[in-house]
Amino acid sequence: MSAAGSISSAERRFSLLVTVLAFALPVIFVLVPLAIFLVYSFFSVDQGTIVYTPTLGNYVRFFTDPIFLPVFWNTIVLCVSVAVICILLAYPAAYFLTTLRGRWRYALLMLLLVPLLMSYVIKIYAIRSILGLNGFLNKALVAIGILHEPSTLFVFNMNAILLTLSLLLIPFAILPIFLSLERIPQTLLRASDDLGASGLQTFLRITLPLSLPGVASAASFVFVLAIGDFLTPQMVGGISGFTFGRILYSQFGTAYNWPFGAALSVALAIVVICAILVGERSGRNRGTSL
Amino acid sequence: MNALPRPSTIFLAAITTLVAVLLYSPLFVPIVSSFFAISHGNVDWSSPTLSTYVALAENHDILAALRTTLIVGICTVILSVVSGTLLALYYHGRRSGRSILQFIIFLPFLMPPIISGLALLIFFREIGLERSLLTVVIGHTVFVLAIVYRTVLMRLQSMSRTLVEASYDLGATGWQTFWRIILPNLSSAMVGGAILAFALSFDETMITILVTGTQSTLPVRLWAMMRLGFSPDINALVALILMFTVLLCVLAARFLIPRQMATERS
Repeated sequence: MSAAGSISSAERRFSLLVTVLAFALPVIFVLVPLAIFLVYSFFSVDQGTIVYTPTLGNYVRFFTDPIFLPVFWNTIVLCVSVAVICILLAYPAAYFLTTLRGRWRYALLMLLLVPLLMSYVIKIYAIRSILGLNGFLNKALVAIGILHEPSTLFVFNMNAILLTLSLLLIPFAILPIFLSLERIPQTLLRASDDLGASGLQTFLRITLPLSLPGVASAASFVFVLAIGDFLTPQMVGGISGFTFGRILYSQFGTAYNWPFGAALSVALAIVVICAILVGERSGRNRGTSL
Repeated sequence: MNALPRPSTIFLAAITTLVAVLLYSPLFVPIVSSFFAISHGNVDWSSPTLSTYVALAENHDILAALRTTLIVGICTVILSVVSGTLLALYYHGRRSGRSILQFIIFLPFLMPPIISGLALLIFFREIGLERSLLTVVIGHTVFVLAIVYRTVLMRLQSMSRTLVEASYDLGATGWQTFWRIILPNLSSAMVGGAILAFALSFDETMITILVTGTQSTLPVRLWAMMRLGFSPDINALVALILMFTVLLCVLAARFLIPRQMATERS
């Protein structure tokens, strides 16, 4: 770098080599697999072997078969509901954190984020035992007198998936909302106070609008994580809780139809990309209007 | 904070408490029950015992899965820290093609794991690579690379340019500057990234299920066992893993947070 121009051609060759190496790993192990995957969605299966002739059959099947579109739609509705529940719980908690001072603020934030790093599978199992027929929730509801006998409302159905996913994903909603709330300049709040606004007015007209980018990215985060999950529905969904992720997963196991599974994944990927773009876009627009 | 009157603060605190209880209840239940014996599906609350921990020490299936998880985790950490750091250095130093590279690195992290996992599954099949621990390590590395890369890149960008310039002024070569200035400055970010990578690899289930061969990691093993219901010694395992995870969190926070908060303030 500090050397003279005499070795510049060697240096240029070296820098080309570095560039090739830098791109090799991500391209070989990320881009190529995804490309092959996309190509696979245009193949078909005949008696357990994959036929390598391009066809649109998988996509036609996805749109015409009466099974797939309704499940696809129901899963999207389910995941939007999960995102809404997570935000309704996470927003007040994140707001509360920003009212705290100094060390407490970050200690409590840490406390609410630590469950993220705890084993996903174990949490699903524990939640299933809490929601189950003999679980804590049923026992508590019976004890309070809301229910007369344990209910099967919370186990092996869509409700169970909804509750479990919400519980698992709340921390993912807390962090972006907290960060956007924390970024709001205190001077704005004080100015609003000085100008005679009540606490509620300040919240509705200053804090809430300025924190919406965080809410948008929290929502898209939670939605994307929820829709890509097949472990939770598989564990707590039972027979009636059938989601898109489960159908997808089954194409690679029991059904052994990889090309069709790949086509379903493309549909999933499109929804995910849309969700990320919407989250990003609404976040950025609000952000620049500050 | 006088923005809100008293009752609303109480309301907010109550919801925060509720959220904390909700988040911790699935962790609390197995830990508490790990200290009590279970017979015929009922917990015997009368006498605390360590019998589940003893049973765990004799559960060879689980211990083998734990060992596999650790091996995969360590390999993943080494691969992802080395390549993540190199990529961050590359990204930091050059201009052409950088954003494409960054986009590719982040793809597996943004895509649902089922898609990344399936793409790798088909890829391994097409290139004739048998499913094994190697394919699991590749899957994990691809997945955690973005985290390590981002952690190191953030530190690189917050590093003062004058340090490197001073090193050159004092006559150091490129390599000397790298080994004695850049690398030491990056080390805590690399360690923090390594801890995060390990934690993610330790818990990664969805990709692993798809690309693993006969040996399964701990989460995959647990997932398979769950269909039948757990034996009580799993509660003991859960308690131990949770303690281990808290330790990892504290460590990661030590390496990552102080410097970042310091740079935010300045």
